Amino acid sequence: MARAGLQLGLKQALGRVAAGAPVPVFAVAGQGAREHVQDLRLDGRLRLVDSPGAAMVLLIAGGLPDGLAEPLAHLHDSLPHPRATLWWPLGAGPATWPQQFVPTIETRDGVSETLQAIQRELLRGQRPGEPPILPDEDPVPWKGVGPYGQGGTGMTGGTPYGRPMAELGADRDGLRLDVLPLRIGPFFPRFPPGLTLDLKLAGDVIVDVAPVESPFAGAPPVGVCRAGARIFVDALSQPVPVAGLELARAREHLRWLADALVAVELGSLGSRVLRLAAELRTSDGDSIRTLGRALRRTQAIGWATNGVGRIPAAAVEGLGAGPIARAAGLPEDERTHDPAYSGLGFEPIVQRDGDAAARWRQRLGEAAQSLELAARAGDRRTVPTGSVESPRGRLDGEGNATARFLHLLPGVLQGLEWGDAVTTLVSLDLDFEEAVFAETARAGAVAS
Amino acid sequence: MRDYASPGVAIVAVGAILVAGVYVLAVLDRLLGMIVAGTSIRLGALLAEPVQSGALLVLQERRTTERPDAAGWALAPALFGGLAAVALAMVPLDRDIVAADPATGFVVFSAAIAMVMIAIYLHGWSPNSAFALHGAYRYGAQALSFQIPFLLAMLATALPAESLSIVDIVDAQKSVWNVVREPAGLPLYLVVGVAVSFWGPLNLPDAADLAGGTVVEDSGLDRLLWKGARAAMLVAVAAMGAAVFLGGWWGPWLPGPAWVVLKTVALLVVLLASGHLLARVRIEQFVFVSWVLLIPLALLNVFVSGALLL
Repeated sequence: MARAGLQLGLKQALGRVAAGAPVPVFAVAGQGAREHVQDLRLDGRLRLVDSPGAAMVLLIAGGLPDGLAEPLAHLHDSLPHPRATLWWPLGAGPATWPQQFVPTIETRDGVSETLQAIQRELLRGQRPGEPPILPDEDPVPWKGVGPYGQGGTGMTGGTPYGRPMAELGADRDGLRLDVLPLRIGPFFPRFPPGLTLDLKLAGDVIVDVAPVESPFAGAPPVGVCRAGARIFVDALSQPVPVAGLELARAREHLRWLADALVAVELGSLGSRVLRLAAELRTSDGDSIRTLGRALRRTQAIGWATNGVGRIPAAAVEGLGAGPIARAAGLPEDERTHDPAYSGLGFEPIVQRDGDAAARWRQRLGEAAQSLELAARAGDRRTVPTGSVESPRGRLDGEGNATARFLHLLPGVLQGLEWGDAVTTLVSLDLDFEEAVFAETARAGAVAS
Repeated sequence: MRDYASPGVAIVAVGAILVAGVYVLAVLDRLLGMIVAGTSIRLGALLAEPVQSGALLVLQERRTTERPDAAGWALAPALFGGLAAVALAMVPLDRDIVAADPATGFVVFSAAIAMVMIAIYLHGWSPNSAFALHGAYRYGAQALSFQIPFLLAMLATALPAESLSIVDIVDAQKSVWNVVREPAGLPLYLVVGVAVSFWGPLNLPDAADLAGGTVVEDSGLDRLLWKGARAAMLVAVAAMGAAVFLGGWWGPWLPGPAWVVLKTVALLVVLLASGHLLARVRIEQFVFVSWVLLIPLALLNVFVSGALLL
């Protein structure tokens, strides 16, 4: 009795101490939520974590297609107790995930405060932790017979227990090694929202890869558009200020850079870049050049990216792949066809190498160039031609650069080690939402 | 007969120093992160956060996976932390203040470092999870590459002392510290020291591209103990670096133990700064650089150190 009382007292004391800790949050950035979730990195009251095992609260932001409901339930159940879920709709329609949530909130400050309140209540026992959504049962009966559950008929090959086992297969060096099938996504933190890959790995080398169709593709419009993508979608059908468009482009490149820095373990520098993106002005060209020097010193543009994920110009010619193509030496840019840019001295920046380092340099160079263009543009407005150069490449009625590039992805990733594959994927800046925003805009259903 | 503290005193002292070291490391790491990120520093929050986050992990339930090796999962952080404690026990705070001063202290420390690979492999293997196992294999490649230069860098420090006792190695630096005698030794030691604790640019087993690697499935106490053990090993590496390269307790004005603490913190700052200022190294590059550059450099360091003593 006394022991139970002591344990309870200790738990309460620890709960009071722990309540002030930054809230470990696993965030799912749904449609229209990428920037909002990214900005949470700047809030010292929260800590965005890479694994659900490290989280206390699951934050679901923006709109989510039906196709993500089941993976989301799995994700929810992999959070340790005590746990809670918070939905942050950001203007999206009713959640597609059929669970009750704590009261929804729509402002950023409100999110952090609510997350803190949830953590406090969970740790003090004032809020019960959420039970699992899915039944805790084996996918198929376990038939192992050994003292450690090993062996047994039907447990030594194929997909016993509902899980594929490694099978012998050829590797890149002509050997026959174990090849493990593995599905990564759709919530892997280094991937863009919605990307899922079916992989076959020999050791850490990718021998086969197939992208799974994005759950965003073909999903009904959720009625929200990311703030950073909005002006490019608008430019498809109406004149927009060139200065605003270029400032938005520079911001998008810096936001990409902030995520890319997290992927090479430079999260603190990533936060600095994120703050620069949020407060970016046309006079910040020097800050971007200073940033370029910092990236070379940290070897983010160097040993982490040199020679990784090389994409030859011939592979992307005519795809309108934006910075990917220009980093490989192709001067493809929709802005060269826009009369609003004539007289501004615009010439597409190009690199030669076509590797991840070249793509990093390309985006950084384009961010600085965009600020110069924005400063020179005055009140010029674009001329709608049905296509626009978004930060990721050509955006038009047919889709965006990501949609056109996706079929090349297996060829780019095959033969890479996993770490290099992630570096390559990050450097591509894939965006499955952009095309949906454009499609939704055509239907006249987009809100800010 | 060399000095040994009584087991009870040694365990309590080493445990207390490790806990204090891990706390200081957590605060320093956060501070460096805030400086690089350009965020405002609030001292109260900075000092409280490691304790608060630690308490939160204690209250979180342990999570399990499908068919894990439960015993291995629980043992791995204990083994890692134990090895950090063994390594730290060899570091003298002063000539007469040391948990254990065996004639082969150098060998004991090196053996502890070598066995870290077992702890990390066990940790990655146990949860029955692809990313965790992947991280474990990465450390295998990493450890096989850094063990030789690590030993050679340390071995050169034993030559002036003509002894494998850490106390003797520090004692031999009364007039000249080893960092002056062997300028290549400390940089080499720091590079492999970062690799041993897989920190910053050499955090390959628990990397962001594996969503946490060997730690991806850990929650609650498992996560706290693993992170604590890893930090403890970095503290032990820094403390040993202070002893064998920076003259340990030797220094003017302050008492010997204060110098050891100051030098350890200085090395910790350098090791931790690498995590905020250098990008992740590719494993293939690290293996190549270790075998082609670091091993010959470490050998040269030993030969030159030996020749100068003749």
